[in-house]
Amino acid sequence: MKGLRKYLKKPWPYWLGGVLLGLINVALLSLIGMPWKVTQGLLFLESGISNYTILNIGIIVGSLVATLLASEFKIKKIKDRKQVITALAGGIMMGYGAKLASGCNIGAFFSAIPSFSLHGWFFGIFAFLGAGLGVKLIVRFVL
Amino acid sequence: MAVRKLDCLTELCPIPLLKAIQEFKTMDIGDILVIEADHSCVCTDVKKWAREKEYEVKSIEIGPGEWEIYIKKTR
Repeated sequence: MKGLRKYLKKPWPYWLGGVLLGLINVALLSLIGMPWKVTQGLLFLESGISNYTILNIGIIVGSLVATLLASEFKIKKIKDRKQVITALAGGIMMGYGAKLASGCNIGAFFSAIPSFSLHGWFFGIFAFLGAGLGVKLIVRFVL
Repeated sequence: MAVRKLDCLTELCPIPLLKAIQEFKTMDIGDILVIEADHSCVCTDVKKWAREKEYEVKSIEIGPGEWEIYIKKTR
């Protein structure tokens, strides 16, 4: 029981998470014939529930279950006006960026590279560059 | 020997670590920094950095989903 608790509580190593995600994505592709995408499910919400919508709901329910099992569930309070504005601005920029790049980290990177699609590598290189630039901007303007 | 508190509640990675690095620059040897965080990766992130820099580091979970991380500027 103590071993199981540790397993649910402690963060898993990155390599284990990566291997599991890869295997689950292969299973998903063979089951429904489509690789994992996130923004796709948000995009066509008005036209009804698709496989991707169910996957997105699964992500939310799954992370809730994981948090409860680790007994780390907490409702986070809004700290100040600045947090609200930066969070909303970040969300809008991410959504717009995902539409421009025709996918997010999952659809345009994680699922694209195993499908031998060139745009996945392209997305990856620029996501890394963008993340580096983002950190520089945070240090300069946000901290 | 001073103790400084860094409120990183609701902040996500990498903000708490970046804040800690910035705070550490202004601290003297022997000072202790206490980081309050409620994002589980913050512990992993900050501990990794502190161990690389060979600072003493310890974390406790003070409540469900809330942690305090202590780092001592040993050198």
